[in-house]
Amino acid sequence: MATKSWAIGLILLCTLLTTTAQIFLKLGIDNFPQLIFQLQTILGIILDWPLILGIFLYGIGAVLMIIAFKGGDVTVLYPIFASSYIWVSLLSAYFFADTLSLMKIAGVFIVILGISFIALGSKKHSAIEYVEAP
Amino acid sequence: MATQLWAVILIIFGTFVGSLGPILFKKASDKLSFNPFKLIKNYMLILGFFFYGLSLIIYLIAIRGGELSVLYPLVSISYIWVSLLSIKYLNEKMNLYKWLGVIMIIFGVSMIGIAS
Repeated sequence: MATKSWAIGLILLCTLLTTTAQIFLKLGIDNFPQLIFQLQTILGIILDWPLILGIFLYGIGAVLMIIAFKGGDVTVLYPIFASSYIWVSLLSAYFFADTLSLMKIAGVFIVILGISFIALGSKKHSAIEYVEAP
Repeated sequence: MATQLWAVILIIFGTFVGSLGPILFKKASDKLSFNPFKLIKNYMLILGFFFYGLSLIIYLIAIRGGELSVLYPLVSISYIWVSLLSIKYLNEKMNLYKWLGVIMIIFGVSMIGIAS
């Protein structure tokens, strides 16, 4: 199946939501240094708004993923999630003044290259299918 | 903090559990309907959410056992699982370009992790 461009857009949106969700989940879970299952902890988790927001955003991300999968192959769409590493590197450089070392920039570049290769690979499938089925 | 072995094993286990999510989501998306009764009966959907959520809980526990710069890149192993499972259960095809892409992603993510 040829991958539709709306599905790619949806996965990119999904990646952004999931990445944001992970930041909130990390913030939320850091409020609980020890995972002891006491009533107090369980109540704390329920009232821990970053955690709840994180779970909520993660859930919406999953729903968008399901819809996106209607428009293409998993082997093409799922790796686009790796673009989250690009967002995290760039956003943490911007907001938390994290240094963007040469190694990090090179890593981001290679991830982008990897996603491009997968896109290229999916085009090759379509080309073969086109030849086989006139 | 040195990265504990249990955390590494837990992350790798988490990536496998998490990979079942997208595979089941794809199966679920084929017969997706917005009728609430049909949604409840879409077992693939429910199982997908279960595994996807379970992997998240595993990650949240595992990141307490080590450095994020080591554990974070390990999550990209999920791209290998998803590719293999897609071949087996979704009848999708991989080719040299796609595999090279997956390897590059893992390589790039590892570089970002080491640099962090």
